[in-house]
Amino acid sequence: MSGQLVARFRSVAESGVAVAIGIIAGGLIMLAFRYDPIRAYIALFTGAFGSVSGLLESLAFATPLMVSAVTFAVGVRASLFNIGAEGQAYVGAIGAIIVGGTVLLPPGVHPIAATVFAMCLGAAWALPAAILKIWRGVHEVVSTIMLNWIAFWLTTYLIRTYLGEPGRTERAIPALPTARYPVIGETLTAIIFVTVGFCLLVTILLWRTGIGFELRLVGDNPEAAKYAGASSSRAILVSFLVGGLAAGLAGATQILGRPPSWTLYATLGNVLNLGFDGIAVALIGRNHPIGGIFAAIFYGGLLHGGRFMEYQAGVASELVEAINGIIVIALAIPEIVAILRRRRES
Amino acid sequence: MTKTLGILANRSAITRIQGIIIIAIVVIAAAGAAAYYFMATPPPCPSGSKCIAIVTDVNGRGDLAFNDMAFLGGDMAAKDFGLKLVELISRKDSDYVPNLETAAKDPNIILVVAVGFMLADAVNATAHKYPDKNFMIIDYPNLNFGPNVMGIVYEEHKASAIVGAIATLTAAYYKYARIGVVLGMEVPLILKFEIGYRWGADWALKWYQAKFNETAPVIGDTPVKERVLSAYTGSFSDIVKGYEAAKPMYEKGAAVVYQVAGQCGLGVAQALKESATAKGLTKGPPFWIGVDADQDWYVPGFTLVSAMKRVDKGVYLAAQLAVQGKLRQVIQETGGTVVLGIGTTVSGTPVEGNSVSTMADLDEFIQMGINGEKLTGKKLLPMSPEEIKSTVAAMRNALPSWIWDAAKELEEGIRSGEIKVPNAQMMTAEELAQWRAVLG
Repeated sequence: MSGQLVARFRSVAESGVAVAIGIIAGGLIMLAFRYDPIRAYIALFTGAFGSVSGLLESLAFATPLMVSAVTFAVGVRASLFNIGAEGQAYVGAIGAIIVGGTVLLPPGVHPIAATVFAMCLGAAWALPAAILKIWRGVHEVVSTIMLNWIAFWLTTYLIRTYLGEPGRTERAIPALPTARYPVIGETLTAIIFVTVGFCLLVTILLWRTGIGFELRLVGDNPEAAKYAGASSSRAILVSFLVGGLAAGLAGATQILGRPPSWTLYATLGNVLNLGFDGIAVALIGRNHPIGGIFAAIFYGGLLHGGRFMEYQAGVASELVEAINGIIVIALAIPEIVAILRRRRES
Repeated sequence: MTKTLGILANRSAITRIQGIIIIAIVVIAAAGAAAYYFMATPPPCPSGSKCIAIVTDVNGRGDLAFNDMAFLGGDMAAKDFGLKLVELISRKDSDYVPNLETAAKDPNIILVVAVGFMLADAVNATAHKYPDKNFMIIDYPNLNFGPNVMGIVYEEHKASAIVGAIATLTAAYYKYARIGVVLGMEVPLILKFEIGYRWGADWALKWYQAKFNETAPVIGDTPVKERVLSAYTGSFSDIVKGYEAAKPMYEKGAAVVYQVAGQCGLGVAQALKESATAKGLTKGPPFWIGVDADQDWYVPGFTLVSAMKRVDKGVYLAAQLAVQGKLRQVIQETGGTVVLGIGTTVSGTPVEGNSVSTMADLDEFIQMGINGEKLTGKKLLPMSPEEIKSTVAAMRNALPSWIWDAAKELEEGIRSGEIKVPNAQMMTAEELAQWRAVLG
């Protein structure tokens, strides 16, 4: 018990040191470019969390990331390096447009149907990587990267052809008003309850069910898991499918739950990088779905608050990105070290 | 066992030293920052000043065209009217609304400028939420966005028609079979450029026939479908895609390639430079045609002309009206959408937005290249300003005067309203198909 407590304290302390290092390193860079780091950081954090509207906007940025982080996190829990959330999110967005934009359903049912369909498409897009891994041992990094590109071009094609909005070829058909989640404030909608709920469900799945135990066992020590009679195939399959559902949901949030466009642009600009940002969020959240919720809110705060560093402290926007990147890398290091340590031990 | 414990103890000792170092760094950095705080740079829009905010789309700055032109106009307005210019660069599509809102909430901002059609939905939402704030959007009409939004649109089809004519006659003069055009995303706004360019090519061949009583050499005999090569890259930012689209056009014998793809279009110039260097050429043919800005300085000797779209004038105009307090009046008079083009007026005063680049424009835009070098830290100007000017002048003089006469004739016809260029932005799918059947 005390060992567990020490471990938990240690991971919190590590994250705290990481935050400090990231913020100091970013501050030194700002000093080097003759900007005012204190004013910039005040602008960043008060902009992101210092007002109701800022907080709502930061939460809007966090909404898709907490679930796209789950994709990577459940992968790591099963000892997989699943980076397919990016493509699965595109496909999820397409699913949300198909049901949300082209099918007539009563309000209340419509958003749920569109969300579920989007999640199922995301899971379906994860399936080939899972099957290749189980059946032929194809490394998931290779298969998911390739599937990401296939998803990118397929989605672009669909927007420019069958799903394009007539007269506005730069975007797809928007979700019908009946399919949209109600707006809470700024660009935050009620879909955040769905994403938080999903993270909680995955937590229960991982730590309160037999399948979750098996998944973690396979991830921690495949050899021991084999002797204990656990099925690594099943663990891999479950990990990919849960990850696909999560990424599909991440894509759906930008269609059914993000004003003002409620649709997907032909550049995929409003879903681009959700999956890759999710990896960073998962690492900051120590690959735990609940840690991911808080990490996503922090990351969303950086995404939203960054503009105030530029606006109030005059920091060049390129430098804002670099500073945010440094903070994120510093925060991700403890988990990267932990993953590497686990790899070496097994 | 003891050995393991020893290592563990060592590890924690290292951590403690690291901890001390980190705390030391924190203290030093905090002290340094606090000292620096007193001599810090002021924010871009300090309280008590009047400012204009420019919000970009995801393509951002550095395109030497569309977005940079908006900042040029903002800079000039700031200088002339004693304003401060604040920029909000959008990194993601989801930045549009929060960026516009950040500017809208600032009481010092007298005008929020949205650069590009991609921000239309966001402007619509934000303008309704902040009815007291003035907004302006480039390249999008005010479609019920409210009485506080000025939409500024241009007549790109007309400028494209003129450069299409110049390109076609240049191909005829040098006996090339084709011309080309590389475009960004396939949206109504960009279709307007494409159809205008094709229409200009068609007009030029008829003009040649009438003038010299014979079909234009080579290009006049090329089947309509193959005369004007076109490609949509789907991007306004990816230079590689622009390069890949232009390369085969030059290989197929295009004398001139017109670029309508922002930063992506600079790839056209790269493809051209590469084949010119391989052949040891110092001036065209082949050529390319620049867009939005005067890009004649970019690859001097190979840039035939530029189809200018004065985004800077649009920003300047809106800022001027906002300073004078006349913005809403003009929005009311015009129904919210101001057209800047060839022979256009705003409240009775002539304000033009489109033209074909001249030597006078070149001076102004060489300066923009110098500013661009400062901004990106990369070398942009290929040679000294004087050399650029003499190279461009030599290239222009090498072309027969009848090409420039034709361009002038077309421009005057457009200005007087005698010549009508089809505007693809407003076309239905059937109308577009009809024009494609005629123009290729």
